Amino acid sequence: MSFREKIHWVALFGLIVAFGWYFLAYPWTIANTQQGVWTAVGMLIPVTIIFLVPMIAGTVFFAIRTPKEANLKEDEREKTIHLRGTHMAYYPLVLGVWANIFFLINGIGFGYSVNILIATLVVSEVIRVGSQLYFYRKGA
Amino acid sequence: MAHIPFSNEIKTLRFLAGEMTQGDLGDKVGVTRQTIAAIEQGRYSPSLEVAFRIAHVFGKSLEDVFRWQDDIP
Repeated sequence: MSFREKIHWVALFGLIVAFGWYFLAYPWTIANTQQGVWTAVGMLIPVTIIFLVPMIAGTVFFAIRTPKEANLKEDEREKTIHLRGTHMAYYPLVLGVWANIFFLINGIGFGYSVNILIATLVVSEVIRVGSQLYFYRKGA
Repeated sequence: MAHIPFSNEIKTLRFLAGEMTQGDLGDKVGVTRQTIAAIEQGRYSPSLEVAFRIAHVFGKSLEDVFRWQDDIP
C-alpha cells in the first residue's frame, strides 16, 4: 500500500468519524433558529480538530515509517486516480448545490440550508476519497 | 475497472535482469513501486512514455515488453 493510499484511508476514517459525530449530535430540533446556526458553526470547530488530528498524526507516522515514499512526487497513475476521484465527486457536489437552491427558493430555513451544504461537501469528499481508494485497489 | 487489451513481460524481464525489484524498476522509470505492480498485473495501462521507459530499462523494444492480445480487434 502506497504512502498516499494510507493517507487516503486516514482521511476517509477522519471524515466519517468527524462528520458522523456532527450529524448524529447536531440538535436538529433547533436547526432553523439563530441558535441552531451558531451551534453548527461551533460544532465545526471540534469537527475540524477530529478530522485534522488523525490526518496530521497519520501523515507524520507514515512519513517516518516510509520516508522515501513520502517524498516521492505523484506519478502518472496517482495523478489519474486523483483526477478520476475528483471528477466523481463533482456530481454529488452539483446535485447538492442544486438541491439547496431548490429548497431555498421554496422557503427552506437558513439553518437547514447550511446543513444541506455541509452534507453536500461531506458526501462529495467521501465519494472522492472512497473512489480514489477503490482505484488504488482495483486499478485506474 | 477497464480491461486492458495487452499483456506484458515485465515480471520475466525483471527476473532476467538480476531479479530486479519492482521498486528498483520504479526508481529507474520514475514511478512508484505500486504503479509497476499495477502495470505488471494488468490493473493499469501506462502512458506511452512510461511504457517506452520500461522497455528502455531492459534494453528491449516496446513490443518485446507489451503484447497486444490477438483475440481483441
